[in-house]
Amino acid sequence: MRFRTKCRKSRHLAGLSLGLALLAVAPAQAQGTGVDPEAARILKRMTDYVGGLQQFGLDTSNTVEVVLHSGQKIQFTSAAKATLQRPNKLHASRVGDVVSQSFYYDGRTLTLVNPDDGVYATVAAPDTLDAMIDFARDSLDVIAPAGDLITTDAYTRLMADTSSGFVVGKSFIDGVRCDHLAFRGYGVDWQIWIEDGARPLPRKYVVTTLALGGAPQFEISMRNWTLTPDVSARQFEFTPPPGASQIEFLPVGNAGAPR
Amino acid sequence: MMTMNKVAAYLASTAVLLSVAVTPESALMLQLLPEAHAIVGAPVTPVSVAGVARRTTRRTVAVASTTAASQSAAQAATAQQQSATAQQQSATAQQQSVTAQQQAAVAQQPAAAPAVPAASGQGQALPLGTVVPALPAGCTQVAQGGVQYSKCGANYYRAVFQGNNLVYVTAQP
Repeated sequence: MRFRTKCRKSRHLAGLSLGLALLAVAPAQAQGTGVDPEAARILKRMTDYVGGLQQFGLDTSNTVEVVLHSGQKIQFTSAAKATLQRPNKLHASRVGDVVSQSFYYDGRTLTLVNPDDGVYATVAAPDTLDAMIDFARDSLDVIAPAGDLITTDAYTRLMADTSSGFVVGKSFIDGVRCDHLAFRGYGVDWQIWIEDGARPLPRKYVVTTLALGGAPQFEISMRNWTLTPDVSARQFEFTPPPGASQIEFLPVGNAGAPR
Repeated sequence: MMTMNKVAAYLASTAVLLSVAVTPESALMLQLLPEAHAIVGAPVTPVSVAGVARRTTRRTVAVASTTAASQSAAQAATAQQQSATAQQQSATAQQQSVTAQQQAAVAQQPAAAPAVPAASGQGQALPLGTVVPALPAGCTQVAQGGVQYSKCGANYYRAVFQGNNLVYVTAQP
């Protein structure tokens, strides 16, 4: 805590001088004053748009880097499909990979399933998507990659520890013209590519972790956005397949008794 | 002993992953980096901007307290602790051999991690609550009180999720 306070102070100091330069153009912003207002505007347009979508589906491709003790970097890639319905439904499945896993959230409970292992765990969950994402992360250590981008308060979440940002320029992702933004936050740099046009959807998101040796990156590409997906309430509800065993989550930070 | 458990638990807890993009690597990564020494300095990449500050803090604290605990454990250095550590290492070695079988392509990587003693058999009982990323070979399924256990040598394991990772924890049926 002390460390973070210090950081904030120095950020404020840095912000003071920058603020003078930007005084004329910078609107009132929650984030550090090192954020280019145009970058903030494009990001907020995306988060407002996605936060306002009542339902959507998309396919993702994810790459995570692991830095070996030797310093060698290894990438792992996987694909997933997700369907979301506000305020409180989410279904995601990892497809075609070494370890298959599905996630169900129906507004009451959250279930994690490893179909190939024949196991699942179900716990009571908060009744909104935003609260569920926090609960899953803080209480279960279950983290939605890029979950930052889909909550209704995504802008606040993304900017909370972000001290600077700018517009890199235009770029094409999967053939779609995007605005490429780059931000610098607490211990991480992150970049986002947002569709340029009437549908400001995130197309790609990269998180670079500066605090870890080798600065490993997480990268997610988002494609096949469907804003009118085929959804039925049932697809968010988990029905245990015959023979599947219910297991528990280990409490966070405790190697001992399952909860 | 607890120190090793905490490190193992900690690795798994940082090996986040799931959902809007259920990512898979977790289990794989655990097998890739199954050994305590490979973990410190090679934790897993955050997949979200939110919470990084908190998680980084937690990671630092966890590593620091782990170090402190190891030092005090080393100072105490009772025969019991040494034997417990040896058991843990042998369990780790078993995991590595599992890894080698399952992940031929990356098997060399865990081998490049600091050496651990060769597996000394599966018969030794591990302390309850020991978390391992994969079961050793030669387990049998046992159901008791509605719970599925895997009996492997002298140990009973039950499957649990640690974050997104399916892991196995030693338990008393």
